[in-house]
Amino acid sequence: MPANKKYLSSPFQRFLKLTAGFFGGYFVMLYLHLCLTKVFDKTDILITAYVTGFIAWGVLLLIAFLSRNGWIIWGIYLLLIAIFYSIFIYL
Amino acid sequence: MNLRRYNIYFNTHTISGIIICAILYVIFFAGSFSFFKNEINAWQKNESDKGGTYRNIVFDHLLDSIGRIKELKGRDIAFYMQHNGHASYVNIGTSQDTIIANKAKELAAKKELEEKKNRKANVEEGKKKKRGRGRRGAEDSMYFTYDLATKKPSDYSDSYTMGEFLYRLHFLAPLNQIGINIGRPFGYTLAGLVSFIFLFALISGLMLHWDKIKSNFFVFRPGNKWKTVWTDMHTALGVIGFPYQFMYALTGIVLIVNSVLIIPFSKYLYDGKEDEVYAALGYNDNTKYTYLYEPLTTAFNMGNFLDKVEKKWPNSHMNRIFIKNYGDKSMHVVALYDADIDKNFAGSGRLIYRVADDKILFEKSAAENGSYLDYMKGFIYRLHLADFGGYPVKIIYFVLGIMGCFVIISGILIWLVARDKNNIPKRKRIFNFWAANVFMASCLTMFPVTAMTFIAVKLATKVDQPFIFHVYFYSWLALGVFYIIRRNIGKTNLETLLLGSVLSLAVPIVNGIKTGNWIWETYRSGSNDILLVDLLWLSLGIIGLLIFKKMLQTAKKENANGKKVTGATTKSHTKSGNSSDGDSATGTGSPVPPKRAFALKNKPATEI
Repeated sequence: MPANKKYLSSPFQRFLKLTAGFFGGYFVMLYLHLCLTKVFDKTDILITAYVTGFIAWGVLLLIAFLSRNGWIIWGIYLLLIAIFYSIFIYL
Repeated sequence: MNLRRYNIYFNTHTISGIIICAILYVIFFAGSFSFFKNEINAWQKNESDKGGTYRNIVFDHLLDSIGRIKELKGRDIAFYMQHNGHASYVNIGTSQDTIIANKAKELAAKKELEEKKNRKANVEEGKKKKRGRGRRGAEDSMYFTYDLATKKPSDYSDSYTMGEFLYRLHFLAPLNQIGINIGRPFGYTLAGLVSFIFLFALISGLMLHWDKIKSNFFVFRPGNKWKTVWTDMHTALGVIGFPYQFMYALTGIVLIVNSVLIIPFSKYLYDGKEDEVYAALGYNDNTKYTYLYEPLTTAFNMGNFLDKVEKKWPNSHMNRIFIKNYGDKSMHVVALYDADIDKNFAGSGRLIYRVADDKILFEKSAAENGSYLDYMKGFIYRLHLADFGGYPVKIIYFVLGIMGCFVIISGILIWLVARDKNNIPKRKRIFNFWAANVFMASCLTMFPVTAMTFIAVKLATKVDQPFIFHVYFYSWLALGVFYIIRRNIGKTNLETLLLGSVLSLAVPIVNGIKTGNWIWETYRSGSNDILLVDLLWLSLGIIGLLIFKKMLQTAKKENANGKKVTGATTKSHTKSGNSSDGDSATGTGSPVPPKRAFALKNKPATEI
């Protein structure tokens, strides 16, 4: 019953996806919530992030695994990080 | 169904699940018992906790008596009320007054030196003195638990109970002490990581079963192959328990490693001051009031103060009290109150009082409508601690928690059986069996070991932290190693179940013999907490024995069947071996005996 290998990627790709999802996903989630503090009260956002943040992180990790290419998902997450970070810093 | 996605969900779910299974089992098992932490404490001490009452003047007596052994001037004193409502952790910090602080430092240093000498002498005698968490080296601070009703203080290590032990085990606190240094407590970090992977496994598991949730909801085929039984058990219990488990994964992460959010948030939004974040969240009050070096002229009476607060805020109870700069003109008292749970799900009150001119600087009642923050916090804490609905809620939680254990166990077994096929290299299969064997041995032995330790603490004359640690961990190690070497998962399962059930039944009996508090006695006297623990073990024992009986019957039937079919199915053996049936849910009627190149002894290794 183990999952069909045909649909799984090479070990290096999987490593890329894992790191993209775990580290990239974390920072995407973090800067997204930090952006929200521009609009809402910061403590409220923090306590909201207790729930939404961890779910978002988990989902982003899963999405990374669903992607077809580890490099691309790293690129997407880095882009998102850059966008959210610049909104947070410069706006 | 998108096959690619399905297989990715499948793979990520399996891998994340098998990585965390053993630790998660410990968390679930110990955590389920920690719902009854207070009850277990009462049971162990044989003192039913009937909500001891106290008058607020007790605090004044306490401060007086501490003041006699320690100069209190200039110190910060904090009281953290415990859940039973009449005991408090008391923390006495170092003095702001440099003269007193220096004096205390000298004294402490002297003491430390003496202690060192003593310790040396002890070591020479071959005795190792264990130090509890209560005493902290040369620091001049104090930390202890004080029962306000009985007016008894207790050192942390000596007042250690099974309830506290299982509670702390469930977030892996004992692992903090094994000396792996990663900059933060190792056990907590591991527990946090496991919760996060658990959350991930839950999300991927849900996606995996999404299409079949409706159609498979009532599917349970106990008469079939073991693999389908486990698959059905895993999905059925997993789907039913999903909301509960999801809630636990999430609130668990928050409670143990919220620092992954707190640290960056404090860095970006609070100038790197973590204290300030915690204060903003209402956990703490870290306001520093400048020390004035002027003695306080007005008298402060803590009892009176608390009486006034309570009159002002009925329907709420004290949660934390912080006294700042005791005895100085800058002395402040910060009182944090919680709304009573049956009045308000999430209300928190805060009052800041300046003693010098008897002025209330800030006031927010717990009865007022809670803020968004209060509700979120209430949501996270109440749901995790299950303290909002009395025993019925706790019992439901307990059952759901144990159900989580079954999900984990069946998950391990599916993982093993699914890989126990001819097309998988022998080397891998040996490893798989080894892993599953170790996981099962360490998980399943927890049941008898816990029951045994309950008996041990009842029989021992003196119970403290080292005692519980030794009894629990050594017997766990011994039993675990025994079953690992035994290498027969079926027997591990059967025997730990039998042993655990018998020991469970013995728990209320031992309690009855030792203390005379038999079940009917505690029922008559209304000692509900002691009764509850006894009944809990009694029902665990009975249910365990019933399952054991059922398992024996099935095993017998299986054996008889197996003999009959072996001859007929030898041909289909080789065929079905190569075609790995991709679908977990195909329950073919005829029981094909599994083929095990590495099977041990004459019993199927992975079957009952």
